[in-house]
Formats: sequence, C-alpha cells, structure tokens
Amino acid sequence: MNHEGLNPVPLKRKFFTPGVIVLCILALNAVVFLAIRFLFGLGAVTNLNDQYPWGLWIGVDVAAGVALAAGGFTTAALGHVMHREEYAAVIRPALLTAMLGYTFVAFGVFVDIGRWYYIWHPLIMWNGNSALFEVGICVIIYLAVLYIEFLPIITERFIGKVNLPGILSKLNKIVDKILRLLDRGLSKTMFIFIIAGVVLSTLHQSSLGTLMVIAGAKMHPLWQTPILPLLFLLSAIAVGFPMVIFESLIASRSLNLKPEMHILSKLGAMMAPLLGLYLAFKIGDMFIRETFVYLTEPNTASVMFTVEILFGVVIPLRMLLSQRVLRSPALLFTAATLVVAGVLLNRINNFIVAYTPPYAIESYFPAIGEISVTVGFVAMLVLLYRFFAIYFPIVSLPGKPATQAAKYTVKGVK
Amino acid sequence: MPGKSRRDFLKSSALIGAGITGLSSSSAKATPKNILSPDRMGVLVDTTVCVGCRNCEWACKDAHGLPAGDLESYENRKILEQKRRPDPSALTVINEYSPGKYSNLPVDVKVQCMHCDHPACVSACIVGAFTKEENGSVIWDTGKCIGCRYCMVACPFQIPTFEYDKAINPLITKCDFCFDRTKEGKLPACVDICPVEALTYGPRMELVMIARDRIRRNPDRYINHIFGEAEVGGTSWLYLASKDFNDLGFPELGKDPAPGVSESIQHGIFAYFVPPASLYALLGGMMWLSKRRKELEQEEKI
Amino acid sequence: MKKIFALLLIFLITSTVTAQMKLGKEHSKLNISCQTCHTCEVPTKNDPCLVVCPREKMVTIYQKPEETPELIVIDQLKDRYGPVYFSHRLHAQMSEMSGGCGGCHHFNTTGPILNCNSCHETSRKRNDVSVPDLKGAYHRQCMDCHREWSHSTACNSCHLPIKEVKGTEKEQIAQRLKGRAHPVVLEPVKILYRTESDKGKLVTFYHDDHTKKFNLDCISCHKQESCSSCHDVNKKSSDSKTKVSDASKSKLSFEVQHKNCISCHKDDNCTRCHSDKELMPFDHQRSTGWTLKTYHAKLTCQNCHGSKIPFAKIDKNCISCHKDWDNETFNHAVTGLKLDELHSELGCDDCHADNNYAIKPACDNCHDDLSYPKDLPGKLIRK
Repeated sequence: MNHEGLNPVPLKRKFFTPGVIVLCILALNAVVFLAIRFLFGLGAVTNLNDQYPWGLWIGVDVAAGVALAAGGFTTAALGHVMHREEYAAVIRPALLTAMLGYTFVAFGVFVDIGRWYYIWHPLIMWNGNSALFEVGICVIIYLAVLYIEFLPIITERFIGKVNLPGILSKLNKIVDKILRLLDRGLSKTMFIFIIAGVVLSTLHQSSLGTLMVIAGAKMHPLWQTPILPLLFLLSAIAVGFPMVIFESLIASRSLNLKPEMHILSKLGAMMAPLLGLYLAFKIGDMFIRETFVYLTEPNTASVMFTVEILFGVVIPLRMLLSQRVLRSPALLFTAATLVVAGVLLNRINNFIVAYTPPYAIESYFPAIGEISVTVGFVAMLVLLYRFFAIYFPIVSLPGKPATQAAKYTVKGVK
Repeated sequence: MPGKSRRDFLKSSALIGAGITGLSSSSAKATPKNILSPDRMGVLVDTTVCVGCRNCEWACKDAHGLPAGDLESYENRKILEQKRRPDPSALTVINEYSPGKYSNLPVDVKVQCMHCDHPACVSACIVGAFTKEENGSVIWDTGKCIGCRYCMVACPFQIPTFEYDKAINPLITKCDFCFDRTKEGKLPACVDICPVEALTYGPRMELVMIARDRIRRNPDRYINHIFGEAEVGGTSWLYLASKDFNDLGFPELGKDPAPGVSESIQHGIFAYFVPPASLYALLGGMMWLSKRRKELEQEEKI
Repeated sequence: MKKIFALLLIFLITSTVTAQMKLGKEHSKLNISCQTCHTCEVPTKNDPCLVVCPREKMVTIYQKPEETPELIVIDQLKDRYGPVYFSHRLHAQMSEMSGGCGGCHHFNTTGPILNCNSCHETSRKRNDVSVPDLKGAYHRQCMDCHREWSHSTACNSCHLPIKEVKGTEKEQIAQRLKGRAHPVVLEPVKILYRTESDKGKLVTFYHDDHTKKFNLDCISCHKQESCSSCHDVNKKSSDSKTKVSDASKSKLSFEVQHKNCISCHKDDNCTRCHSDKELMPFDHQRSTGWTLKTYHAKLTCQNCHGSKIPFAKIDKNCISCHKDWDNETFNHAVTGLKLDELHSELGCDDCHADNNYAIKPACDNCHDDLSYPKDLPGKLIRK
C-alpha cells in the first residue's frame, strides 16, 4: 500500500482571521433571526404564505445543499468503488463537505418545518408514496453513514493522543481502547457504509427531483417534467467534482497551500462528459415536450432558464473541453464556480422560480430573515470546515510520505 | 487473505440484502389509508342557485370552533368585492364573479377542499398524516403533522393552509368535510345551513347523475361541464356553473390524478427495493473487482 | 264471509270510481292523454299516481291573481328565524309578467294546487336528493328576485324575528297587506335599440303602438321579465318617454333577441325594423296604402282585423267587411256623394263593375257621352 503524496494532517494555522470574524458576525446574525423564528413562528421572519409554502430555506438550504454536497458520494464512488487511488487526496475534504453540508440540510429542515419538535416522526410514521418521505429517510440514513465514514478521522486524530483534563485523565486508557476497537471494527465494515452512501445518495438526489413533480401545473413547464428525478441525479453527479474543485481551490488559497492541480485537472476533465450528459437530457426533454416555445416569452422564467442553461452548463462545458482551462487554476476555478452556481440556480429555479401557484397575489421573494439564516448557515459551514481542517487530519500536504493511509479504503476488502 | 475478505463481503452483503427485504415488506404497507369507496359521499355545488349569503362561512366556523361572530354580520356583501382564499380562520369562503349566461345576477362560488378521489396531499404527506376515508372525506391527523407544508405544494387546488404566526403547534388547516359531524349522522355544517340548498349532499355517483340531468334539462342555464367529475381523476365535491370555470377562479386541470406521475416514479425507484438493492450489489461487485485488479497488479510487481 | 268480501269489494270499487269522478269534472274534459300526468290506469284522489317531478310535459292551471289567497303564513320550518308572512296575491299579480303561477307552482297538474311539501321533503337529510328540500325550494323561489333588486340576502327582509307572533300582530300584518297591489307600470312610448346589424343600426320600437293600437297584452312579450329590469337599486330610472337600449352589448343569442318580435313579424324582412335612422310610428296610410278617414279612423284595429294577432290582412272591398251592404241598405251619402233619385234605384254593380270600388265607376253602361268625375250621378255633399 503506497499512497504517494497522501498525507492528511491537521494544519497548524491560527483559527481567527479577519475573514473568520466576518463569518462569525454573519452566523450570529442568523442566530438572532432563528431565535425570532422559534419564538414567534415562521410568519415572523419569512415571506412564506399559503400560496408559497416553500421558499429560500427549502430551495437553497435543503435542495441546493443536498446537491452541492454531492461531492461526497461522487468522490467516494470514484476513490473507493472504482478504486482510483490517485484521487484519495480529495476524498477527505469532500467527505467533510458532505458531512457538514448534510448536517446543515438537516438544520435547514429543522428550522423550516412548523413543528420542529416532531422532526423524528418520519422515522416511525411512514408513507411509501411520498417523495419527501423517501428524501427524508435517505437523508437521515445518509447523514448517519457520513458520520460513520467520518469517524476514522476522529479516531485517527485521537488514538494515542487521548489526554482528558483533570480527574477524567484516569479514563484516558479506556477511551483510547474504545477508539482503537472502534477503528478496527470500522475498518472491517467501512465498505458497507461506503456503498450504502452511494446508493442512498443516488436515491435521494433523484427523489429530490420527484418532490416537485406532484405540484403538476403549478410548476412552470420549462422545469416541470416527469424526468425531473433523472435531471436532478445527473446534475448532482455533474456538480460533485466542480464542488470539490471549487472548495479545494478556495481552501488552498485561504489556508495558503499549493493547489493540487494534478488531481483537480483530472477531475475537471471528467466534468465535461458528465455535464454533457446532463445537458443532453435537459435539451432532449425540452424538445420532446416542446417547451422551447416558452423561451420566446420574455419573463422571469424564460430569463432564469436561459441563464441557468447558458452560464451554468453550456459555457463551463465549452471551457472544460479546453486543456488550457484544465491546467489554469483561475480558469478551472471559474468553470467550476459556474457549474456550482448553475446547479444552485437550477435548484432555486425548480423550487422557487418555477413554482407559480394559482391565487398568488404577488410572487415570492425571500425576506431579510430568510436570507440572513441562509447566509448564516453557509458562514457556519465554512467556519466548521476551517475548524476541522485545522484540527483534524483532512487536508493532505503534498510531498511528505504517508504516515497513516486512509484505512477504511483498504482494510475492509484486503 | 483475499478469500477471507471475500467471504466477509458476501456475508455482509447477504445480511444487508435480508435487512432491505425486511424493510421493503413492511414499507409496502406503510402508506396511509386511501379508500376509494364506490359509496363515497360528495357535495354538488350549484353556483347558479347559490345566492352568496355566506351562511356556510358562519356555519363552518361555528362547527369547527373558530370565532364566527353574528350570523347577521355575514349579510354585509362588501367583502365579496375582493377575492378571498380559505385560511386558518375560515375553512370555506364565498367569492363573487360577474354574471354568467343565464341571468344578470352575479355568480357566487364557494371555495373549500375538493376532497379529491386521488388526493395529492395523501400521497405527498411525509408522515402519512392525510387519509382518504370511506365516506370520501380527506382528513388528517394533527398529531402526526410535522408542519413541512408539502401538502400545500402538492395540492392542485391550493387548499391546505398553515398557521404561520404560531410558534408552537402551528397547524395545517382545511375543510375536513365535517368528518366529526357526518360520523354522527349529521350533515356537513355548510350543507345543513344553506338556505337555497345550493349544496346537495349525497352519494357522489348519484350527484353526478343529478348534475347531468340538470344540464340536460336546462341547457340555457348551465355550461356543459361538471367541474370535479373528471378533474385530477375526480373529486368528491362537484360544481355546476353558468359560465366557464376558469372565469370562476377554478384552476385549469387535466384528468390525470395529481399524484399519478410522482407515485409511479416513486414506485419505479422503489419497486420492492429491487432497484436500490441491485445498485448496491452492482457497486459492491465493482468495488470488489477494482480492488482485486489492483491487488493482482501489485502482486505482479512483486 | 264471502258476502262481506263482496260488499267490501263493491265499496272499494265505487269509492275509487266516485273519487275519480269528483276530481275529473274539470280536467277530464281536457283533450289530453291521461298518461301525460298519471302513471296508473285509475288515478284516485288518495293516490293520484302522478308522474315524478320534474314533470317535463305538464299541463298547468292558471288562476287570476284576484282569485288567489291574499296572505300565506309560512311557518313549517321555524328554526333560526321566525315565520314568513307571504303576500301571495301581490306576488301572484307581480308574477304575471314573469312566468305566472307556474314560476312557483311548477310541475303542478290541472288538479288541485299542490302543497310545496308534497314534493319537497322537510328534512335535508333524505334519500332522494334530486329534488331540493322544502327550505331550499322556498328560498330558491324568493331569493332570485329578492336579491336581484335589493342586492341583499338579509334574512329579516322576509322572516320575522324568532318570537311568538300574537294574534293581533298577525292581524296587523294581514291588514297592512290588504288590497296591496303593484303600482301601475309606466310604459314608454318608444324604445330605440342600438344594434350591430348591417341591415340597419337602429331599431325603433313603438311600445304604445303595440299596446294601445294593436292591443297586445303585457304578457304577450313580457313572459319572463325579471323584477330587476325596473327594480334595480343600482340602475337609474328614467322618466323619459323614449328609452334607449344598447342591444349590441347584449349577451343574448340572435334567436332570443328576436323572439318576441318574430312571433308576429315572421313574414317581414329585416329592414321593416332595422334602419339607420329613427322610424316613424305606425301609420295606416303609409303602411297599407289605405287612408283611414272619418268613420274608419274611429275604429280600433280589432274592429276590422279581428282579435287574432298577428292581424289578418283584408282587402279594400267594402263588402269584405260590410257584408250586409246592398243598394237598399247602403246610404251612398256617406261617401260624400248623395245620389239623385234616378241613380239610387240602381244596383251597386251597375256603376261599380264587378263590385270593384277601387276603380272609377263606369257611366257608359247607360250614357254614351258622360263620364265620372266630370259628370256626377248626384250631388257632392260635405262629409
């Protein structure tokens, strides 16, 4: 077993920087609005009403959140299932993003549902016909799977370094033993969870698309199609690597690391066919259902659809076909950002723009409170990412020999 | 070594397979009650008869324990100048539209849950709180509701409403077809109070015949369309009118049940857990093969 | 035992037959099939076996408003509100221009006037819901007109408050309604209808020509008039003798709009009524070429044309109407020419060939050198 250059280590950095303080302020702002939401109800902070029951929180925090956390399962499929070890360096950051992403998806759901204290109800009250039930159950299980997948990183960080303060120090040995036991058990069974994670992701990424199918004519025909689940799955797969590239380049910038272009360029090269496949289905669906006629009407829907397709898919697709783009960090970052923004916009379009209910007097636009909470959640996510990257072995530093390989990729099937 | 791990792998896969099968057999039953009884009841709303007295609004509030006020205060017709929608304080409302073809009187239309034969809310509800009962009513179990509002997204008539202003125990509300009253053999409150019997309560099958008969006998009075007979696969509440239903605030809907497409997708993806299980097996196989190839490559190197 | 049975049977048969006979006096004379109204062979008073409502083919009776009850108390369904004191006669009178008795007493046979609750059940929860219940039936009859002109659905405009009504109060109400009648309807002289017709944009309808000259009944046109055509609080009433109506905005079909006119004017072409300018009222000379002079001008149309509408066309021969005229009974002086003694002895057709009075009389039967009007067979007198 020789993972060249793979060396995930805790980065020795100061946690607080001016940027981090800004993020903290944004997060605190969200906390204020969340307090209002829990004290006075959804009506106090959101622009939701009986016509627009779902808004920014479902569209961005949940739907887009799930899509943008897709890097977790695409890299897991690439690195573990296909066993392409050259990508091992991006697996942990992607896993961390997915874990944090899904955690905040769960938070998003928690604050959005009216009776948050009943969030556990779907676990025992089942409705097999409901797409939302499937999404909910899959997300809950997948979240558990992600935490399990993340556990080895915790054990790796603490094995042999357990140092509890004061009186608890007597427990040091026992905790260490438990961690070692856990580590051994996990490394034998990890493959089960990895495959389960990919299957669960495939299921709920597509079912997220099924969600809006039942809205029928209330959804603009440019987006409403029976193949929505397929489009959601394809776009989630297509956005997985761009998201990894996007994060990796931001992280290396903010943590002062050398961008891992040798991996990212290869990932970038894989984006084009995935994006192309998504575009083919999207355009094909548009022509089969003859919905292109709606593009001639100049309104929000047609503009948003055009922007989504042109800037989110067509332009990055063209860019990624060029070797120059794949080799340049700046251009690759631009292309990846466009794809990420395109998928984000697609989810916003599907859940908010396309939803045109009857009897609505004015169309929905998120309230300050909703935007604050969404922005705050993103800020918290970034802060947590930074925290884990600094204190846990997530990011691989190039050039050093492997001290501890990612065991769970290896041991189970050896 | 490889042999051992292969056995491990197969064992674990078998275990998971068994788990999934167990899950699927229980999940097949895990759908809410959704009865389409041939004897289900319905209401025929004849908008050419309705006088817009709004007594039904009062009776509905009175029957559901909502603040109703004086019945006399409902004689104020000023409120009909605006188009209203049901909300948590009023589960049914009357809207008034310009006259139809047969009379110069305005057309009054009662709005409430249509009690679909194939309800989208029943299909959509994440916890299966909604049920379609034998008597045709679509009701819901408040105790289960988590307040996700997916029923509001799903409903083709935009009927369920939500108490956005409540921090604790906000509820989904809509017309429940007076399920508690009909259980006791009483009529729905709105049907009971209607002075002109614009609302006829009876078996839905019979109401369709009555509606057809009215159109046949008075072709000048009615347009030839029973709203709810075929819309979204049929609804328990049926409407007759003297002008096009699109001009009376009704959405234009096809004949396919609202949950049809999404349910077939759901059942396609989840058909007895075969597709997810096969995907699991496929990925497991791929993982094992790629692993094996890697190992062989390394053995060769050595 | 057998005898008792036989007696009983005879009794039964006779009683049914007499019951049938009593009722049958009036309506058995009607020239219609019994099956129109009855489903069984031998309808009796107790079991008239009437066809079920809606009786689509129906013979209904007509009573003059004056013969109907003045006041009816509707108190079967006292619930949230008190009873309704219904001024039946007044409503019967008003209903004459809007469907008559049948408007409310729909599907009533030629037999006795049926109580509403003989068809309309008093309970809303019932098995057959095809016919409205009594509460619904009552309100439907009242509300259509009442809300049409008051734009209100206020219950207390008909219902008394729910409290015991004392005898004196009842009398007071009865007293108040006594002899109340609908005020005389002011009729317009003419109505100008603006239309979109390419045959002429304007139709001039002389209302008083039709009612006064042609003597049409109100209900020959106003069969289904709604109260709101006069009693609309939102409409401004006009006292002008000329009404203008914008028919081009009407939603009614071509057939419905022309229905009232076409029943008489079926042989006329469009331009009889449609023109681009306002038309003149009816004038016998202009319309028929026959000037009505001294005597004829005093007559009503019906004197010559009979009472059947549309009027029969008659020719200009005097004896078409004056069938009893001959040279003995006819006083020629009424024409303005008093015949001299010699000519008064002659028969009419001696001068008026073939009894044709439209052409000038011939003198050449007797006189070679005389001719009318140069030479006269008598003396002109002032009429």
